[in-house]
Amino acid sequence: MSTGSNGARRIASLLRPRFDAAVCRSCQETIGRRNYASAAAEPTTTSSDPSSTSPVVQPAYTINAGVVLSRPPVITRDLEPFEKAFYLYQKRLNERQALPFTKYFYFKRGTPLDEDWKKKIQERQTPARDIGKYNAYAPDAWNDELLLGAKEAEPEYQVEMLVRDAESTANATSQDTSKKEEIPRPHPRVTEADKKGDQKSLNRLLSRTLYLLVQSKGGQWRFPQSQIATGETLRQAAERTLFESAGKNMNTWMVGYHPFGHFVRNIKPRANSKTGAENLGEKTFFLKSRIMAGQADLSANLHNLADFKWLSKEEISKFVHPQYYSQIKNMLADR
Amino acid sequence: MAAREPSRYLARAVPRVLPPSSRPHAFLGRRNASDKAPERRLSSELNELESESSLATRVDEKMAKSFDPAARAKARKTQLPRGRYQFRSPKYYRGPLHPNQPPPPSDPSSRLYVPGPFSLPRAKQTYDSTIASDILTLCYVHNPPGFKPPPKAPRLREWDDSSPYHKNRPLRGPRGGDVLRLLRKPIAFNNIPEIKRITIHSYVKDAAGGNSSWLHVAGMAVQAISNVRVETFRSKASVSGWGLVPGRDAVAVKAELQGETMYHFLSKLVDVVLPRIKDWPGVKGSSGDSSGNITFGLDPEYVALFPEIEVNYDMYPPKMIPGCHITLHTSATADKDARLLLSATGIPFYGKIVH
Repeated sequence: MSTGSNGARRIASLLRPRFDAAVCRSCQETIGRRNYASAAAEPTTTSSDPSSTSPVVQPAYTINAGVVLSRPPVITRDLEPFEKAFYLYQKRLNERQALPFTKYFYFKRGTPLDEDWKKKIQERQTPARDIGKYNAYAPDAWNDELLLGAKEAEPEYQVEMLVRDAESTANATSQDTSKKEEIPRPHPRVTEADKKGDQKSLNRLLSRTLYLLVQSKGGQWRFPQSQIATGETLRQAAERTLFESAGKNMNTWMVGYHPFGHFVRNIKPRANSKTGAENLGEKTFFLKSRIMAGQADLSANLHNLADFKWLSKEEISKFVHPQYYSQIKNMLADR
Repeated sequence: MAAREPSRYLARAVPRVLPPSSRPHAFLGRRNASDKAPERRLSSELNELESESSLATRVDEKMAKSFDPAARAKARKTQLPRGRYQFRSPKYYRGPLHPNQPPPPSDPSSRLYVPGPFSLPRAKQTYDSTIASDILTLCYVHNPPGFKPPPKAPRLREWDDSSPYHKNRPLRGPRGGDVLRLLRKPIAFNNIPEIKRITIHSYVKDAAGGNSSWLHVAGMAVQAISNVRVETFRSKASVSGWGLVPGRDAVAVKAELQGETMYHFLSKLVDVVLPRIKDWPGVKGSSGDSSGNITFGLDPEYVALFPEIEVNYDMYPPKMIPGCHITLHTSATADKDARLLLSATGIPFYGKIVH
């Protein structure tokens, strides 16, 4: 190899632009840094594209930052009928196979608790409080399956039985016989907002993940998004977008610095009148975010938004454009 | 054969009459395998399955009311002999050639069968719906196209051959200690850290002197809070001040929790016990064995806060309730990832966080 050609290659590599349009800038920097470390072994010899050195501006996409603000599930999911039946079956099977309950360890003879226990065991015939009336040691213990319409497998029934048991124990052992003890029941799984169909409330669909969707003045539903300003990182842009569109009355947590989904919309290329660059469409990169407290407030939004809703995955598919949904659905949680 | 012929011609002719369109009629933005999963045509084996759950089928009301298996069995004049309907697993295994073989342990008639699960734990559901996906998003590392990870030095060092005696020597361990740490794989969808098991361990010093009541109480307490049978361990050390002789006295109990029991214990710990400890700073940030297992201790008065012990606190001799060490074994191979998982689960860390 002659020295002349080597020098020409070096000059060409100096003239070549540092950045390639196909790879994002931070990635370019990473690659560049790597190259300094391993440059001695293998110098880059990619031939430069003659068109990239020309002053003509490349056609480009508009880059947006989007925020998928979600409220994770608050309560457990509803069990399938099979799961309910299976769990009750296993509980009764356990009663049949377990050693007898050691009553003398837990209840001293002659105490009110002992009397209460005797009454209860006569009633339900088993120490377990939530499997209904079932004697696991009787000759007909094989008859452990529920008949049609039985309520024993329902979680609501089991919770009610546990609470009643606690109440009767409290009543039997309390000194004051005039007053009846009340054990608080768990809150209902279906809330007021569910009954009213209030889709702006965060108190709806407690067992599902809810996502914040906003409606533009034109009537289009989507996640909050805005164009990235120059010199801004994706995360900064996402935080700004959330602040500008849904207000400051929210305590949120951005999950990480990387997008977890993106949406691409191609349009017919048209030239920008100012810069002369062709616009190919838009690319929106979504960052994940969780809401801890507060509520969205669109009164001071800067993105021409008219309305917002907290929706589950299935409901989102009814509101947004099918093309939009087909690209975002895989980043939404099933539950 | 004759019957088959026309169908073959038909199969060839139909595509010619109806050419498949290169573009689908309906709009399909981006197609994924998951889109059409339920609508995809079932194979012939699956078609034989009933489409509806048997729990959803309608039954005639009259028939349902008249169905009473217990009454029918009682009304029977002669009972079947037990051997006709009840299989009893052999008590001893008599080898593979014996005609009466025991059923597998998953069979309810097996002597080794353990019933369960009895519920779908809330902590498990939270992990699946929220924590796992958040950890995956948090731990994502972007490798740009064309990125090659820098070459790493081998974990075991070679000898420099400065001496003839270096020949055929085994490789040396890493500098600064002979321990080969676990390799940390990048966290991907199939590698998200999760809690695998929890160990509750309690060392009872007073059980050494021949008074076994301390160990009995400790065992009952640990069993009560964990829902698992405990194992006891004899001392290996010799401490003359405590009267401890190696191999003589059982001095420790241990319970290992897995699956459903583990998640229920974790929920109790995080939601009931730890919030009630006054001025508890959290788990020390330097805790951990540097391979993803975090340990912390609970004093006796905090063990007494568990609801199972609290309901019949009087049954335990006072001052005999033990303290314990709780180890959370995670599938993470570095303490950093384990701490991320546990803090998402609700266990706080304090002090200098050591990675």
